[in-house]
Amino acid sequence: MAQEFHLRLITQRAGGGDPIVRDRSISGGEATIGRAETNDIVLADLTIDLAHARMRFSGPGRVRIEAVGGQTFQVGGREVQGADLDISARPEVVFGSYTVAFGPAPDDDALVIVTREEDEHHLSPSDFSLKAQVFGRRRMSWILGAGILLLCLVLPLVAVLSGSKLLINPQKQWQAGALSKSHAFLQDDCKACHANAFVAVRDDTCQSCHDATPGMAEKALARSRDLGSPFKPLLVADHAPRERLSDGTPPPKGLGAIGFYAQTLLGHPTDRCASCHIEHTPAGKGPDPQAPLSDKPKLAVVHDCESCHTDLSKRLESTSIANTPDKRFPNFEHAPFKAMIVTEAGPKPKFQRAPLTSAQAPTEKNGLIFPHDLHMDPLGGVARQAIDLGKGAGYGAALECASCHRPDAGGKAFRPIEMERDCGSCHSLAFVREGGQLRYLPHGELQKVVDTLAGRTLIAPGAERARPRILRASIYTASGASAYRAAFSPGGACYDCHTITWEGDTVRMAPVSLTQRYLPKGGFDHSVPEHGGPGTSKKGGFKCADCHAAKTSDRTADVLIPDIAKCATCHGKTTAQIAAADDADCTTCHAFHRPGQATPTPGHPPLKALQWTKVASR
Amino acid sequence: MSDVAGHTERVRQRTHEGFLAYKGFRWAQVATALCVVAVGVYFVAASRLAEPPSGGSWLGYLLGTMSAGLIVWLACLGIRKRVITAGHYSLKAWVSAHVYLGLSLVVLGTLHTGFQFGWNVHTLAYALMMLVIASGALGIWAYATLPERLHGNRGETTRKQMIEAVESLDRQLADLAQPLDRAGAEVVRRSIEDTEMGGGFWTRLTNDHRGCANKRAMVQLRALPNPPSARQAEALTRIEQVMKQKDAVLTKARRQMQITAMLEGWLFVHIPATFALLAALTAHIVSVFAYW
Repeated sequence: MAQEFHLRLITQRAGGGDPIVRDRSISGGEATIGRAETNDIVLADLTIDLAHARMRFSGPGRVRIEAVGGQTFQVGGREVQGADLDISARPEVVFGSYTVAFGPAPDDDALVIVTREEDEHHLSPSDFSLKAQVFGRRRMSWILGAGILLLCLVLPLVAVLSGSKLLINPQKQWQAGALSKSHAFLQDDCKACHANAFVAVRDDTCQSCHDATPGMAEKALARSRDLGSPFKPLLVADHAPRERLSDGTPPPKGLGAIGFYAQTLLGHPTDRCASCHIEHTPAGKGPDPQAPLSDKPKLAVVHDCESCHTDLSKRLESTSIANTPDKRFPNFEHAPFKAMIVTEAGPKPKFQRAPLTSAQAPTEKNGLIFPHDLHMDPLGGVARQAIDLGKGAGYGAALECASCHRPDAGGKAFRPIEMERDCGSCHSLAFVREGGQLRYLPHGELQKVVDTLAGRTLIAPGAERARPRILRASIYTASGASAYRAAFSPGGACYDCHTITWEGDTVRMAPVSLTQRYLPKGGFDHSVPEHGGPGTSKKGGFKCADCHAAKTSDRTADVLIPDIAKCATCHGKTTAQIAAADDADCTTCHAFHRPGQATPTPGHPPLKALQWTKVASR
Repeated sequence: MSDVAGHTERVRQRTHEGFLAYKGFRWAQVATALCVVAVGVYFVAASRLAEPPSGGSWLGYLLGTMSAGLIVWLACLGIRKRVITAGHYSLKAWVSAHVYLGLSLVVLGTLHTGFQFGWNVHTLAYALMMLVIASGALGIWAYATLPERLHGNRGETTRKQMIEAVESLDRQLADLAQPLDRAGAEVVRRSIEDTEMGGGFWTRLTNDHRGCANKRAMVQLRALPNPPSARQAEALTRIEQVMKQKDAVLTKARRQMQITAMLEGWLFVHIPATFALLAALTAHIVSVFAYW
């Protein structure tokens, strides 16, 4: 009897529950497998050919299964086109989604169980919602958040704490804005200024490079060089001692008060260097955000002059500085200028500041006999002599101020008067001609003059009035020990200008001390054309004589300095009122860090001028 | 008293009021007032500041503190919406405030910068904030307009019905394809097995299904050689009809998915960008105060 295949078809119910089982026998020892209904075993799977395979008994307990149309099936996980199966081993053959399992049956028959693997995947309405597998919202959130925290916070912190230098400075991303050119060399050295974390930049950090205090200046220059500054730092002094500054500063009013109290409370006080000299900010406050980097830190004035000086004495009782009403000059009564005058000449001259009030004009005691009017008279003997001296000697006309007062290097002020240079052209110190050469008395040292002339016989022919640098013969006709008496007597070289007294043979000369700067608390620039300086002045500008009444001054004691009313001719006026009109801010004459000077214009001196010399930078 | 409360409660239930119009645009008014005040103070104060306006001035700190506080509070919506409360502040009130105060951050945050931007962590935080707000604005637009379109698209068909329709058509295809030879069966099998209703993020968002397996199968079906038997020919004709039906259902379902994706897509930017923003904000604040 031929062997039979006992076929068992197991079909899962769609809605679950017990599967449907159908049994059938295939006789003849052979069976066809395929999708077509004509097959013995019909597998309704579109991956299966209409006639896919054929199987037959190939021996006792053995079945041979072979593909028909060249398609494959799986045995033991391998794709094959034919296989010999040992039924006792209960082999399984997979056709698409069908599994055909073999097992022994009585009478050497084979049991064939056909089951279908149902595709469990079904869409559900929730599949209409977005679900990104790789970039899920939650995962993406944590990755992004953690990544930024790591790159922007942890990494820079580690770099700071470990002090390690990486190719790209991870702290650079923390920088809110570029530094000014003068500080650009510190761009990667945050700690140079931000010395302590969570502590606002302190003044001593700034002063470590900029302190002008004697003794500290050297250290400051050395530190800035150590830090690699290509520029010599500007050394600055404090406006006043810190305690006095704090006491004198009023609490701010209005909107600014919010910031003042909040920042003070939070340890970010507004009276630091960095409160005014701010960094990491664009150069211009103007509309152009791409303005080039400024050379110096931007100046943001926290307190202007008036805010402290309006009623300074209320807060700083010990101050000697006058209060300035809360108006701008000339709309308030600026206290009269107090000129620095000599009250006692000598090796240690005494100076005193005296108000320039017209009611009681101050007088100086500088020890000199010098009437300005005599020298300035265009028709007098001095003018005559100056004309005789000629242009070649630098004169050739009646004397003017510049004949004796020579501007200093900057032109803003004047060099100290030097007798030989500024008076000597007329007031000759020549006393003898020896070997065709004139010899001159040493000016300024009385004993040397006495020693030079002592024991000489001075006889020289000549007229009574001698030309400059020519011997005044009549004076020196004395001889022996009394020869020097002539020089200190009427008609002698010293007598015209110095107050001479005698104690027996001993000559006494009153000391001379001249004031170099009459108004030391404010800056006045003589080089400005409107101030009598060189160049073309605007209409209304002044010449020397407009301020200094030298032509009518007949005594040395006169203080030829004008009061502030003169300044008001132009300062504080509009150009409609006077062409030479100009500012009248406090800063026009006073500076915060150097109260005796006018406030320098922004950017002055130019950064280039501050470069170390090549030698210094080595 | 309880009668009065009950009465108002009923009235409120009857007239639907969205989160945008909540309490007569109360939060819109608050946010507008906030912006107007901030802009006013900025233009009065900024010109009087000694320094160029920046986050480091007192006004900058004020605006910065307000903005940072707002950002943290806005981010808390994620926590609030997961908590069911019976409290005074309804979720609708929260969302309304979230939307309008969030929009006001455009003004507050921008003023805080003092219009100073650079390649740094500070501007990164600002950019992320703007990204969050922009994506949020997209969300407002989506919530205000898309539900209507979603409804208009699906008509009376539910999502479940759409899925069932496709599955039913697939079963029909499988049955119809049984008499086909290997090539025909393969075409139909691809339509059944390879057709993806949704697809990935961008496929859904763009509704670009040019590679749809069913569409390809329809093309391939027509390219098949003439079948040898009349039975197979009839099967092919019917299969083509079913595939067309399937295509119509798919088109509608996919449009539904696209609208849904647009309705939800902004959150894929809004939420991760919020986390990124919180991280950048932390770095911004720490770095600013570390190097004060």
